[in-house]
Amino acid sequence: MGKRLRVLGVLVILGLLVEALCLVWSKPIAFVVLVGVGGALIGLGVLFFLYSLVFAPHQPTETSGVVPDN
Amino acid sequence: MPTIAVVILVLFSAALAGVIVVRPAITASRAGKIVAFGVFFFLPVFSLLAGMENEMRRSESTAFCLSCHIMEPYGKSLHIDDPSYLAGAHYQNHRVPADQACYTCHTDYAMFGTFRAKLGGLRHLYIYYLGKPPLPQDIKLYKPFNNRECLHCHLGARSFEQGATHNADPATLPAIKAGTLSCISSGCHDVVHNVGRWGDKVKFWDGGS
Repeated sequence: MGKRLRVLGVLVILGLLVEALCLVWSKPIAFVVLVGVGGALIGLGVLFFLYSLVFAPHQPTETSGVVPDN
Repeated sequence: MPTIAVVILVLFSAALAGVIVVRPAITASRAGKIVAFGVFFFLPVFSLLAGMENEMRRSESTAFCLSCHIMEPYGKSLHIDDPSYLAGAHYQNHRVPADQACYTCHTDYAMFGTFRAKLGGLRHLYIYYLGKPPLPQDIKLYKPFNNRECLHCHLGARSFEQGATHNADPATLPAIKAGTLSCISSGCHDVVHNVGRWGDKVKFWDGGS
């Protein structure tokens, strides 16, 4: 999970930085870059995060597999 | 939300994501997982939506439209010191909001009009950056200007309803309202921007925003 977190984290951070730059860049093309590049990077990061949550390897919890001792 | 607030939110989200990237062990605990969900799902999605909304709002500003070189003469026409110039008269007398002058007249007040205006803006961007933009004086509207956009403000206004010219012929006002007699191409208000046809005698008003 650690490596996945790093990869998706970098995607999200890059997307957010692109978005921040576009917000202070007062040119009409900024909106297209914000959605096309920033949005795509953030979207990929978020989707990868959700994918990681759903398909994360099972980690036994403290109570799993414990048979009550009567 | 003001632009500076959105920028701070975006940078804050990026900084939090950076902390987890550097120290992924934070997410081992239950509380860490909840924080990770906020940092990698909620905050980025919210930041992106806030940024898009901010850009959408900015795209309605006069400054945004005039930031393309090709639009410069149209911006200049808003300052022409001649009341017969329709765009200038509206801008200078604040009949339209000065900071949304282009958008106020050139958006579509029908259903999904804002959406259509944004799509038109994307088309402008494509032509400007990837196509062959026409000369400013050769720019034409995609379709004839609809009276509906004028009537959005003027309908019911006394100056419009009781205007001498509008009532000189009883058929005029109903024809304007029905859209069969155009406001701007009927010899009434046909001097709008007139880019490329100003001549040497035109003067400019340097007041306003």
